Amino acid sequence: MIFECGDLERALANPELMAEAQRHIRTCETCRNEYRVWNEISNTAKQLHSEWESPDLWLKIRRDLQAQVRPAKGWWLDRKIWAGAIVAAALVLFAFLRWPVSAPNTPASTGKDFLTEQAFKEVEKNEAAYRRSIEDLSRLAKPELEGKAAPPILASYREKLLMLDAAIQETRSNVAQNPFNASLQTELADLYREKRQTLEEVLKSGQRN
Amino acid sequence: MTWEIGLPLPFGATLPDNPTDAELVASCKRGELRAFEKLYELHAARMKSLAFHLLASRGDAEDAVQEAFLKVYKAVGGFEENSALSSWIYRILINCCYDTLRKKHRLAEKPMLSEFPIESKLGLKVALERALLGLNERHRLVFLMFEVEGLKHSEIAGVLEVPEGTSRAWLFEAKRALKQMLTEPRK
Repeated sequence: MIFECGDLERALANPELMAEAQRHIRTCETCRNEYRVWNEISNTAKQLHSEWESPDLWLKIRRDLQAQVRPAKGWWLDRKIWAGAIVAAALVLFAFLRWPVSAPNTPASTGKDFLTEQAFKEVEKNEAAYRRSIEDLSRLAKPELEGKAAPPILASYREKLLMLDAAIQETRSNVAQNPFNASLQTELADLYREKRQTLEEVLKSGQRN
Repeated sequence: MTWEIGLPLPFGATLPDNPTDAELVASCKRGELRAFEKLYELHAARMKSLAFHLLASRGDAEDAVQEAFLKVYKAVGGFEENSALSSWIYRILINCCYDTLRKKHRLAEKPMLSEFPIESKLGLKVALERALLGLNERHRLVFLMFEVEGLKHSEIAGVLEVPEGTSRAWLFEAKRALKQMLTEPRK
């Protein structure tokens, strides 16, 4: 094929013809100029890419996404929370089933409360052990949560942990007033479990960063 | 005490550092915050820039990106995994930009050049910005996505739902029109 000036546009649209076009350009000033302008448009276009800092944008998006979660996915639909509740219920049941074995050594039950004194002590002992293990996790996660260069996600975990601590404190004081209330015990177990999971997520997030 | 208080989305501990599209989509479908954060890391800069060129305002561009992420979150359950994730996200973004333009009754107007950053008003760059406003919408979009934001023709084809060849042809038409506007003396 004999490449002529009129073929340049066709070559620009069709990369297969570019080798021929390059040869022609070497000898034709008009086409060389056309080709230069063509490339300059592309080169200048790259400078039009516009970048600027938007420190709040991700935070806003995250807030939007979290706001979507609440109505769409209530905690009662969360399988993890259900699993936690079942574990807590099993714990209560286990404590209850152990009661007849130790019953002869304890004073007669009034039969009014769901948990006996003995079962309650069992639950209290388990709770104390669980609480200690969570405190250990908290100590491990502390540097991540308090780091100056902590990513924004950790701020949300910090908020969540503060809320959970407040809720745990409130529920514990309710339990202290009404120690035989099984649903309060279950709620407390749920809160501990949620706190443990959150701390584990903080630690995982720290490992990733 | 209620559980509705702002609990974070699941973080997505299973997401690898460099996830594939399929892994990202699966993680997004599980509602994992980390997956959306990853999408943001990967695409937000180009999304902001593209929205800025369509809306001519950084504030509007950021709002459009925010809106796009919310739509991605709501619609990801129905995302078909045989299409490209990036194309889908950019398509949502462009639709958000058009919604913004419609809301602001700006469709009849062209973006105000005065809102472009001052430092860009130099020589060919500003001439090109001005010339871009004279292109028809599809040519302009292809040019912005390919030449300015560096998307591939395969991605652009996915965004605009046209064959790849059409994307190439529209880019050629766009550049030809721009060259004409930039080199021919004004009448």
